[in-house]
Amino acid sequence: MATNNHNVLPRGIEPSEFLTAVEKFKALLGAENVLTEPSQLAPYMKIMMPVAESEHAPSAALTATTVEQVQGIVKICNEHKIPIWTVSTGRNFGYGTAAPHHRGQVILNLNKMNKIIEVDPVLCTALVEPGVTYQQLVDYLKEKGYKLWVDPPAPSAIASPVGNTLDRGVGYTPYAEHFMFSCGMEVVLANGEVLRTAMGGIPNSNTWQTFKWGYGPYLDGIFTQSNYGIVTKMGFWLMPEPPVFKPFAIKYDKDEDIEDLVEMFRPLSINGIIPNGVVLVGTLWEASPTVRRSDYTTEKGATSKAIIQRIRDEHQIGAWTAYGALYGTQEQVDVNWRIVTDTVKAAGKGIIVTEEEAGDDIAFTYRADLMRGNMTLVEFGLYNWRGGGGSMWFAPVSQAKGSETRKQVELATRILNKHGLDYVGEFIVTQRALHHLIDVLYDRTDPEEMKAAYACFDELLDEFTKHGYGVYRVNPEFMHKVADSFGPTQRAVNKTLKRALDPNNIFAPGKSGIDLES
Amino acid sequence: MAVSTRWITTKWSLAAGILGLACLLSLAAWAEVNGSWKNGEEVYAKVCGYCHQTGIGPVIKGRKLPPEYTVHVVRNGLRAMPAFPAAFIDDKALREVAGYISKSAAEQKQEAENER
Repeated sequence: MATNNHNVLPRGIEPSEFLTAVEKFKALLGAENVLTEPSQLAPYMKIMMPVAESEHAPSAALTATTVEQVQGIVKICNEHKIPIWTVSTGRNFGYGTAAPHHRGQVILNLNKMNKIIEVDPVLCTALVEPGVTYQQLVDYLKEKGYKLWVDPPAPSAIASPVGNTLDRGVGYTPYAEHFMFSCGMEVVLANGEVLRTAMGGIPNSNTWQTFKWGYGPYLDGIFTQSNYGIVTKMGFWLMPEPPVFKPFAIKYDKDEDIEDLVEMFRPLSINGIIPNGVVLVGTLWEASPTVRRSDYTTEKGATSKAIIQRIRDEHQIGAWTAYGALYGTQEQVDVNWRIVTDTVKAAGKGIIVTEEEAGDDIAFTYRADLMRGNMTLVEFGLYNWRGGGGSMWFAPVSQAKGSETRKQVELATRILNKHGLDYVGEFIVTQRALHHLIDVLYDRTDPEEMKAAYACFDELLDEFTKHGYGVYRVNPEFMHKVADSFGPTQRAVNKTLKRALDPNNIFAPGKSGIDLES
Repeated sequence: MAVSTRWITTKWSLAAGILGLACLLSLAAWAEVNGSWKNGEEVYAKVCGYCHQTGIGPVIKGRKLPPEYTVHVVRNGLRAMPAFPAAFIDDKALREVAGYISKSAAEQKQEAENER
């Protein structure tokens, strides 16, 4: 091999050492599963972060299909101190796509390790490999005739249940907190051993996918948002298809209505009246399936309040739209529907829209699909707002209190507008806390806007941290900064675990700010 | 796979420039290791169509897009359109979906959309 991807090498690795490792990878996996040429690595160079692609260029990309191959890769990486950045499908674009934390890491793509090992239709559990997508799992369930639902994140069809759960993603059905509904993992450790967590440690156990905790310390958590091992199998609980599913929307006119909305939905969520991940969607997100910014203005900078009001008026979009759903028997749904509608009427504002009233409205259909676990990629309409392929999720957590959500919206809007960008956000209600998801959208083909987006994201992190808020997840470019915001003690503990479990620092150095060399 | 409909109007000038380059792209087959895609139609239905059939991405069926152009855009991405590696859509499946898109007929609804 004369060249690799623009002569990119792992940090501190000599070319000869790297080439030796590459030859060993080829012997293990077959040359066709070891990509080093620029044309082969081109798909891994496409990123949405506001930095040059070269800063996150991989030195190679490997594809493995078996646990034994993963063990072999780990052995080679230890021998040559090669860092590997593992992805399942690498399809969550606003959190970094498949881009490694820093230039030179070798991507280990597990997309083709895609077996659905077991689905138990009685206990409603599944055991799958990392490359399985939600689409593949849904197809399998349909083919078998199982009346079971998955809970996908918004990029459903192309995302991986394992990957999304390991990053502690959220969805929109009653099983919205993905890690909460996972059960049991198989992990290849840096020493080459294979760990099966919790009940998986018992030979011939049949409760690995039914009882999360096992015995002794609960280990599964340390393998999420971390770099302590490579997860090669994961168990999930699947939701039985309810006899009745009733999605609905409630539209609110004013920006400040977010306060009342949260106060109204929190008890409905905590009490289990509305069991799913209710979303409270801001105007521009709600408009994203059909409206582009260029339909209204071509001026650079933040979009004016007058234009946002025009969008609301012309497309009948609220300042906020709440989406929720009821699940169960007809009797259960009827009772809960009465509680929801009475609550809304008592509040004296808000327009209720049912599925029948919404008809084929694309925004409603998209939300209803997510709340019933159907496959949809309509969320990518967000990328049309400004165009140009720039996106970063800014995702602070908020208490489920109206005053807090309003404070966060106003703070975020002020910072985004200062940098010439727009507030495009929503909240996902999970009982006591809210995931506040803001898509920092910008034109990546415009160097000035790219610089502004970076500065904006940096300031959002600084200002939210000052106010006591933390983000639950972030793209590789800002992982160290976010780790800092959670304090030195957490960082030190994470590093201690890293030193113990991966002393050669071969697993994804930099993931969540965990790196023995920094 | 959200790409502004605007760029599609200039697709031919882009395509002409890219054609030569695309021909140089490695099309080495993945030797059916994956085997998860039945054919190009399935790839379209379960990946491309979620955006390109719903108004999120531009209409690509019925436009006689050169397969080499589709292959290039899928592997490299373009503005808001993400790139897909061979681990996700193997080379054989990509060639098939590119051929499927190229030969597909325009749907009535799509023809109206193309007029935008």
